[in-house]
Amino acid sequence: MRHSIIGSCIGFGLCLLAFSPVSAQAFDTRLGPSPLTEGTRSNVTGEGRAAATLDGSRLAVSGDFHGLATAATKAALYDGIRIGAMGPKLADITVTPGQAGTISGDVTLSAKQAAELRAGHIYVRIDSEKAPDGNLTGWLMPPHPFAGEDVPVPGHGFLPQYDVPSR
Amino acid sequence: MRKRILVSVSVSALLSGSAVALENGPFTAPQANAGRSQYVANCAGCHKFDLKGAGEAPALAGTGFMGAWGNRGARELYSTIQASMPYNNGNSLDVSTYQNITAYLLSANGAQPGAMDFTGRETVKIAAIADGKGPAIAPPPATASVAAPATSYPPGRFGVTVAGAIKTYQPVTDDMLAHPKDADWLMYRRNYQGWSHSPLKEITPANVKGLQLVWSWAMNDGGASEVTPIIHDGVMFLSNVANTVQALDAKTGELLWENRIGPAPKRAYGATRSLALYGDKVFVPTTDAKLYALDAKTGEIAWQTVIEDGKEGYSNTGGAIAIHGKILVGLTYCNRYQTKHCFISAYDAATGKVAWRFKTIAEKGEPGGDTWNDLPNEFRQGAETWIAGTYDPDTNTTYWGTAQAKPWTRPTRGSAAGATLYANATLALDPDNGKLKWFYSHAPGEALDLDEVFERTVINHGEQKDVLTVGKAGVLWKLDRVTGKYKDSVQTVFQNVYDSIDPKTGIPTYRKDIQEAKVGEWVASCPGPAGGRDWPATSYDPGNDLMLIPMHQSCVLMRGDPMEKKIGPGGTNAGSQQLFEMPGTDGNLGRLAAYNTSTMKPLWSLQQKAPFITSVLTTAGGVAFVGDYDRRFRAIETVTGKTLWQTRLTTSVQGHVVSYAVDGRQYIAVETGLGGGSPVAKPTALLPGLHHPGNGNAIFVFALPQN
Repeated sequence: MRHSIIGSCIGFGLCLLAFSPVSAQAFDTRLGPSPLTEGTRSNVTGEGRAAATLDGSRLAVSGDFHGLATAATKAALYDGIRIGAMGPKLADITVTPGQAGTISGDVTLSAKQAAELRAGHIYVRIDSEKAPDGNLTGWLMPPHPFAGEDVPVPGHGFLPQYDVPSR
Repeated sequence: MRKRILVSVSVSALLSGSAVALENGPFTAPQANAGRSQYVANCAGCHKFDLKGAGEAPALAGTGFMGAWGNRGARELYSTIQASMPYNNGNSLDVSTYQNITAYLLSANGAQPGAMDFTGRETVKIAAIADGKGPAIAPPPATASVAAPATSYPPGRFGVTVAGAIKTYQPVTDDMLAHPKDADWLMYRRNYQGWSHSPLKEITPANVKGLQLVWSWAMNDGGASEVTPIIHDGVMFLSNVANTVQALDAKTGELLWENRIGPAPKRAYGATRSLALYGDKVFVPTTDAKLYALDAKTGEIAWQTVIEDGKEGYSNTGGAIAIHGKILVGLTYCNRYQTKHCFISAYDAATGKVAWRFKTIAEKGEPGGDTWNDLPNEFRQGAETWIAGTYDPDTNTTYWGTAQAKPWTRPTRGSAAGATLYANATLALDPDNGKLKWFYSHAPGEALDLDEVFERTVINHGEQKDVLTVGKAGVLWKLDRVTGKYKDSVQTVFQNVYDSIDPKTGIPTYRKDIQEAKVGEWVASCPGPAGGRDWPATSYDPGNDLMLIPMHQSCVLMRGDPMEKKIGPGGTNAGSQQLFEMPGTDGNLGRLAAYNTSTMKPLWSLQQKAPFITSVLTTAGGVAFVGDYDRRFRAIETVTGKTLWQTRLTTSVQGHVVSYAVDGRQYIAVETGLGGGSPVAKPTALLPGLHHPGNGNAIFVFALPQN
């Protein structure tokens, strides 16, 4: 199913994948506004994308964002418990200040951290002035092409669960 | 990590009761006094005069409130209230009203007024000015006038406002219910088996593009609406906000009779999802937990009975099912600490006399009573039945799902790893006497507001007698419906709550940090409380052996807050939530998928920004129908998921899609509705770019053009 639509390269992260060295592994994510409540959503706005390439133990991260309600202040990689479950900070990365900008960074991962990355546990978080506990968040994952809104695809069509057995 | 998002402060201080010197509040006494009357007018209907909350409305005073809000700023409280209240109508009051109400709530939690007016920009931590131990201003008297929710119910008298005389009405028999005519939609999911499938096939993939609006009908606003139109012999019975019931000519939309049973809604959530027909009566379980029998020809009340005391917050939202001359109903909002518990009950269709009750909480000394970590009975709550049951005539068994235990989280509840029977279970009951035949606990000790309450679908696979259901966690379960034995399961949406599901027993193992969570700790959950799937019902297409499941994709950080163990509080009040997008979805909250129920394999799925908030209807013509949050109502090809036709309606397309025929012409009816609970509230926060009007409950009926 998802494999059958792998040609639908969307977002620059997946496009980067096509030009990555054979030995390197590529990862990609949307950065979505989160976490938020009705009361904080006016401060937790924006979106972006991040891509990462793991070459040996070196993880190169890049990305961009826009639409923040207040200027970005910090960005970091975090080691989640699972896909979609937050965890401790792994390393700071660079973020350009402003309501739109870029992120970048080079991080050396341990073997365990690289395994966590392959399992989809590592995530990117950008903080901002009025959202210091998280403004944009996204879990870095191996490419999982998305057919596009409103387009039926064969099979499950949801995120592969790299770390959770189906039963 | 989670220390980053732990509330390190005040939870322990609050629980220990240690004395802390409080600053004066950032508001004045006149503001708080004005806020008290504005609270009564706009908030007390849901949150109650004593601010203890009820149902889906959290406590606004005391330990529960301070646990949730003590470590947050006054500005966030103000902005939360302004953005989201009154329910479904955020930002609809003037700024000074929001300021005054916030001042009153701070005062009600012990904050002393100061010299400066509250503006909504004050960042002072609430625990620094309030302790939740008592009000600085007395709560309003319980006799004060409470306004209806913001979009008000039409004023006017109650009772029969349009008298009817339907001369041709044929009484509904047991045989009709067991073998419904193709043209009828006699009950919630159309047939006893809960299929939500119409055998009509005039509308096909080849001609569906010709669908046209035939008639529409505005329904009561001012409350939640998730109705299932019920159709018999060309008459449509419709339940509205304020328990108004109407009979309409299903061909033309002409009103035949109307009974405004009432009362006017005092809260903006909780909808009656369905009526039931039996004999010459229409059965109406009401949002104030009564059961009415109306004469189907005239709309006059034949009898009425009390299911439970609506003044205590009890309600029926799930509708009813008629079996062997009995009307079976569930009960909801059994979530505050009290000596009573939720139950399923049956009433004689002719007289209203109660036939039996089945209590859905196992008390001490009863079978299953040892699954609550020895909690006193009054602190065992939840297990509501807010979706009507289904029925298997072959085995004479009615199947009901139950909601999770309350309060939501294990640490707040104090139930440890106990299974909390019969919460989040399938119950198989004898409809004649209410005796339990078997039960199956889908999520023992549920911890994250992930209900397994939804419809149980009765399906035969050859000689195999199965019952299937899918809950908020998105696991589609298959059980042997004779024995209750687990047979199979499959994930239908991304989830990270369970690390594994035992292939022999189906017992899930929760993620370790969920099992070990303590009060005050944030725990991530995918899906969140909107599901996975929620009340929008699945549809089973027997011709293709496919179940179509409307779903929602978002995640939540959930925190169990402290809750006093005393009669009164409890319930859904003791949990805080923060939302985030489900990884891998590109921010698409909506998901629709088709699963083969024999193989449990997926056939297709699609995603879109807006979540689907109607049930799915499949038809024998090979076309399925579904509506979404973003006002779109569409027809898809059942076996491919391909959109064949769509239109945009006046507000969110919410409710239960049905199909019926009059004089051989097939109709499709769907509701636009508001107030759908989590499936609507979560996208409102996560998809601020999508808008729909805050009123517009209505019914729309489509058909192909006549030659």
